[in-house]
Formats: sequence, C-alpha cells, structure tokens
Amino acid sequence: MESKTAFESIPIVKVSNLDKYFGRLHVLKNISIEVPERQVVCLIGRSGSGKSTLLRCINFLEEPSHGVIEVDGVRVAGGEKGREHRQLVHDVRLKTGMVFQEFNLFPHMTVLENVIEGPVIVKGMDRKRAVDLAEQNLDSVGLLFKKDEYPMRLSGGQKQRVAIARALTMEPRVMLFDEPTSALDPELIGEVLNVMKKVALEGMTMIVVTHEMGFAREVADRVIVMAEGELIEDNKPEEIFNNPKDPRTEALIVRYRTGGN
Amino acid sequence: MTAVSKSQNAPKSQADLLYDLQLRKERHFRANVGLSWGILLLILVFLFSGQEITIGSQTFSTIKIDGQFILNEIDFIAGGLGQTLLISILSIMLAIVLALLAALGRLSTVPPIYAISTFYVSLIRGTPLYLQIFFFFLALPQLGIILSGVFAGVLALGLNYGAYMSEIFRAGLASVGKGQREAAQALGMTPGQTMKRIVLPQALRFAIPPVGNEFIAMTKDSALVSATGFVHELMWRATKVGRAQFHNLEALIMAAIFYWLVTLVLSYIQNKIETRLSKGDR
Repeated sequence: MESKTAFESIPIVKVSNLDKYFGRLHVLKNISIEVPERQVVCLIGRSGSGKSTLLRCINFLEEPSHGVIEVDGVRVAGGEKGREHRQLVHDVRLKTGMVFQEFNLFPHMTVLENVIEGPVIVKGMDRKRAVDLAEQNLDSVGLLFKKDEYPMRLSGGQKQRVAIARALTMEPRVMLFDEPTSALDPELIGEVLNVMKKVALEGMTMIVVTHEMGFAREVADRVIVMAEGELIEDNKPEEIFNNPKDPRTEALIVRYRTGGN
Repeated sequence: MTAVSKSQNAPKSQADLLYDLQLRKERHFRANVGLSWGILLLILVFLFSGQEITIGSQTFSTIKIDGQFILNEIDFIAGGLGQTLLISILSIMLAIVLALLAALGRLSTVPPIYAISTFYVSLIRGTPLYLQIFFFFLALPQLGIILSGVFAGVLALGLNYGAYMSEIFRAGLASVGKGQREAAQALGMTPGQTMKRIVLPQALRFAIPPVGNEFIAMTKDSALVSATGFVHELMWRATKVGRAQFHNLEALIMAAIFYWLVTLVLSYIQNKIETRLSKGDR
C-alpha cells in the first residue's frame, strides 16, 4: 500500500482491460480507466457507443465479460461466479451510488422511506440515524418538505433529486449517473444539474453519462468520449470542446451545438 | 377531480359547463339503470308470486311457491352460510400461498422448480374441479388417507384456485419493472431483500383486485363441496330439505338468494378496496 497523502493520484475507481459481450456483440473493447478521488468525469458518446454499459459494469449491474473493476480498494474480476464473487460485488455496490435515467424510486414508499431503505435494510443502520442523514440529504437537494409524499406526486425533476438523495444517503465513495436528465422535460433539467453540481462541489467523485454538453463543459474535470465500445478521447473539457482530436468527437460536439446547446 | 373554480357568482367556464353536463348525464344514466333493476326484480318476484291473471277467456298463473316451507326451513338453510364462508376463506388462503409459490416458480431459472410449477398448474387446470373434490374425498381413502369433508373441500378448492390464480401473481410480478430491481441491487440489496422489500409489495398490490374476484367466484364454487355429502354448507342444506320434502324449487331459490346476497356484499367490499387502491400511490 502506498501512502494516501498523494491525493491527485490515488484512483478510487480503476477499470482494467474491461471487455463486455452481449451474445456475440462486443460492446466494450478492452477499456481501462482510472478515476482519482474527487474527480468529476463525464462520459459522452452517441447512443450505442457503450457508455451506459461501461457505467453499469462498474457496479456490476452488468457483469463484465473480462477485466477487473476496482472501487476504493475492492478488486473484483469480471465474469466470475460464486459466493465470494457475490460478496465482492456487494462490497463494490456499497461504495457506489447509482442514479438512473428513469429515477426508479420505489412507488410504494414515501420519499423518506425511499431514502432510508438502503441504509436501514442493507447497512443495518439505526433507523433514527438513517432518518437524520436522509433528512440532511433531502434538505440539500431542496426536497425536505416533500419527505412524506409518495413519488407519484412528484415532478420528474423532483423524483431525480430524491433519487440523488437516496444514493447519497448510502454514503458512497463514488456516484454513478446514467443519463440522469434524459427522461426529463427540458424545463426540469436545470434543477437536477444544479443538484449534481452541488454534489460535485462538495467533493464527491462522480462518473456521469450524459448528453448535457453544457454540464460536461462547466462541471467536469475530465471528459471521456466513447465510440463503438472504445475510448476515443480522454481529456480536459476545454480540450475536448475547443480542440477535438478525433473527427467523431467533433461530429458529436457539433451535433449537440446545433441541437441548441 | 372536482372542479376547483367554484368562485361565487363568477360565470362558469365552458369547461365547467361541459363537465357539469357530463356529470348530469352520468347521474341520469345511473338512476335509470337503478330503476330498471328495480323493475326486473319486481317482475322476478311477480313470476314467483302464484297470482292468477285472467285475460279474456285465458287464465294464466305464475309459479306458486310454498311460503310455509320457506318459513320452516329458512333457518336451517341459512345455517349453512357459516360453513360456506369458512370453506371459502380457508380455501382462498391456501390458494394465495400456492399461487404465489407457483408464480415465483415460473420465474425460477432452476429447471426442476420451473417444472414443478408448470406441472402443477397444467395438471390442475386440465382436470375438473368436481373431479378434484371427489378425488380428495373418495379416492384418497382407498390409499388409507381419510380426509374430512371440509378438509378435502378446502384442499381441492385451494389447489384448484391456486393454479388459476398463479397467473394473477405472475402478472403482478411482471408489472414490477426491471428498473425497480436494478435500483434495489444498486443499493446493495440481496435478491431476497429485493423480492421481499421491493418486488412483492408492489406485485401484491397489483394482485389484490383480481384476487377479490377469485374469492367471490370461490364462494359459489364452494357449493360443489356439498357433493361429498359431509359438509353442511348452503347447497348441501338446500338439497337435503328440498329432496326430503319435494320442495326443491323453494329450497334452491332460498340458497340462490343467499349466494347472491353474499356475492353482492363481497363485490361491494371489493369495489371499496379497489377505489382505495387506485387512489393510492402508483
């Protein structure tokens, strides 16, 4: 173990030689990434480029076919089975918070119940402590006043903010966002991006799959561009947006520029 | 929901007027349906009133039923209500457990478990309920297994309805989206926790109204258990006194009325539950 004082360089997420096949389809091709603590990474690319699959491999919602995922010191080899593997996957999931495109709040639970469910059931946290933590996080996403509502009574933007609070209340080391604003009406996107920005400023390590180029440019420390299951560019946002090296990156940016961004 | 703009004296908007008109039409329709029901009921009562009507030279008479017999035997027949309800309640409880297990079995990727579930459903759905009741009551004793009439009836009804209701629970489980399971997984829940905390509560909520329907159907199918001759529920009592005194008409009419009343009450309760659920959080 090296000393942990050299902050910039300690990767909290390390993906090594990751391959993923869906049947015969090779959707991720030998991907390796390291994400240091506190870094905000945006993954961009056309649909079908593999960016969501890559994100979902990190917390094993998709089982990698080959390769190694390491999150905060927990090393898990992909494509394995058995009790030990499941335990490692569980450990990785405890270190990662996930926010989905479709929110996936539990409709039969109130907002507060949604947020304390993980800490109480999975971590066995004392209910009172979980409620305190949950209320703190709901307050930070601006929705404490909705804590006793059911998700059905929330707008899409509010649902997503609750989903962020739910993930944060598990006290993860890294937050994964899978197109968090793609299912939202345009006028609701801003409130979710603002909450994400706040989470980033508080020092959370974040990996964000997004089409929001404005967010990528403004908030990300680093932008990774994917195409056909490969990383085609990995750089600071200024470089990606002002000086794209790969013509596919350029096409991607132009597409979104003309798309009104 | 109700129109909000009830401000005093303000002229009603076009939308409000249309809404009122629609409400009035609906109320009108329902009133007429109620009235028609009343008339149909009166006709039915009249048909069994034993009246003689003379039109010109022709004399018609409606069906005459023996009021004295009814008065004498109503207590005896009504005494079967308890058994009917008991059998139905026990059977539906057994059926719910079996249906849920069968539905979960259908989701299993373990071949024997999947096979047991589909085999059970196929076997039960492929044979008559009447036969199943006799099987448990009459065929098992030959193997040295002697079940009481109620027990055999509950077993047969429970097994039978469980097979049919497994489809309801399967649909309920299928109604819970993949995203729900993924969200639970991402929080670190085990498959067991995910099923118990996230999937089942939602699936069961979905299943409550159709299970209510099955329960109502079951109260009527419980009449088949009378065939064993040892369960003194409504149907058994009606046929017993009807045959003994050759008053099957009156006896069966009484039983029919009891069944009808029970299903009316149950449908009413089910309706209430359903509207409550639909108002909830889905």
